[in-house]
Amino acid sequence: MSNNARALLIVGHGSTVNPDSSAPTLAHAAEIRRRKVFADVECAFWKEEPSLRDAIFLFDPEAAREVYVVPNFISEGYFTQTVIPRELELNGRSTKRPNGQVWKYCEPVGNHPLVTELLLQRAREIAPGVPETETSLLIVAHGTDLNENSAAAAKREAEKIRALGKYADVLNVYMEEAPLVAGWRKLTKSPNVVVVPFFISDGLHSYEDIPVLLGIAKEKSTSNCISAGGEIFQRNPYKIDNRSLFYAPSIGTDPRFADIIVAQVNLFDDAFSGIILAQTENFDSKS
Amino acid sequence: MPDLIERSLETALTNCCRVGEISIRRIDGGGFIVSHCDDRGRDDLQRFQNPEEAAEIARYDDAGNYRPLKTVPNLCHGWRLELVDLTKLRRALDYFYPGRLAMFAAWKENRLTTTPLRKTLTRQSGMYRVASKISDEQINDLVGNFCRSNGGCLRTILWKRDESAAVPSTKLPSDKFDASHGQALSPRSATPATTAPVIPLLCQEACSLLVAECRKVVKMTNDE
Ligand code: SF4
Repeated sequence: MSNNARALLIVGHGSTVNPDSSAPTLAHAAEIRRRKVFADVECAFWKEEPSLRDAIFLFDPEAAREVYVVPNFISEGYFTQTVIPRELELNGRSTKRPNGQVWKYCEPVGNHPLVTELLLQRAREIAPGVPETETSLLIVAHGTDLNENSAAAAKREAEKIRALGKYADVLNVYMEEAPLVAGWRKLTKSPNVVVVPFFISDGLHSYEDIPVLLGIAKEKSTSNCISAGGEIFQRNPYKIDNRSLFYAPSIGTDPRFADIIVAQVNLFDDAFSGIILAQTENFDSKS
Repeated sequence: MPDLIERSLETALTNCCRVGEISIRRIDGGGFIVSHCDDRGRDDLQRFQNPEEAAEIARYDDAGNYRPLKTVPNLCHGWRLELVDLTKLRRALDYFYPGRLAMFAAWKENRLTTTPLRKTLTRQSGMYRVASKISDEQINDLVGNFCRSNGGCLRTILWKRDESAAVPSTKLPSDKFDASHGQALSPRSATPATTAPVIPLLCQEACSLLVAECRKVVKMTNDE
């Protein structure tokens, strides 16, 4: 099928309080749109507009015969398994609508193997010229999110990077459960420490909570932290106890996440195209 | 080739120049100028050319507060966006009112289906499951206040309260439910919605903010 008949829907969580929540998803969509590899590229959000319910009507059924749905989520969980399929009326990996449009449900971005490479690139870029063998890499996740597997995903990424043997140490740490990010001084021994939040977007956690836990920002200041939030990433390295700490923005804000979104579409095609074609033909011959 | 949404926008623009709080002007020789409708005639507006900048403009109100629902009539003032063609105009309008042009195009083609509020509420899970306990009377009050065009939301409501097809609120004027009208009332200019044709901002199903409000009402009742 030509690219002209394929559309892409990127699904984000969005927020009614954090203005930066949807920004990376919108930016990735604009970037992929520029590449002209899909007939149409749209976003939909649980907490912003267009809503997941709007998404059903976003694509011209004549022009877009296939709609790939990629959740811009860091892991599988309640949203990818319950909310998104329910709101988009998906009944499996592939769903044929009454108008003939086929919706293909891809895995969340966080599941893609390229995320590991991106974490490595981010870590190198935030601490240029700093030898990895003298550096500990900390991947921070929330920890107690009910029904979300982001903690497990962060652990998996840490294990993969540790196995490469590049860094002095690689740790998955959490905001609200052990091993705690606040314990980094004891958890790490190397002279340099690189910290990458394992989130889809920046917000209160990456702008304020984690910096406070790391000891590079003061407890809840009265100023509007969200609007000034980006500054926290501009002051690297932080010198603490004769060690250098480098703090990166959330991994999902990296423009290269756009590549991962497209890669999830390709992975879907590689994994399912044969099976789905057979199912669709079956369906057609019955109807 | 322009897609369906651009075609439907082009057709709509032949006799109207208004969507929500935004006024659209054609420039001689091609292109468009969009601005807040209150700002027409001002010559001190900050100029923008990139449709992507519309996302930034739409993000905060005049006081700098985040706008989670873009159809709330609190679009900021003081800017003007110059767009060279229809594709860029469509993209910009899609940042100002995400998804609304597509809903309009689907509605024009009779493809837009609506979902009664009760169906939306019973579909919820997790912390929003309780929202379905809201009474009809509470819905009447809540929707009458939360969705009202004057200060609430500029969308035209197409959904019903439930399968009985009752209107969700008797407190709203009948044109709030009439897509041929459009709700262009702006707090500052207070232009009556009927003076000029507008591209309606359609609401075919209750938004997540209204669902969250329903939950709040139920929680408050339970606490009493
Ligand atoms: S339910 Fe529709 S009309 Fe009411 S506030 Fe939400 S978007 Fe606006």
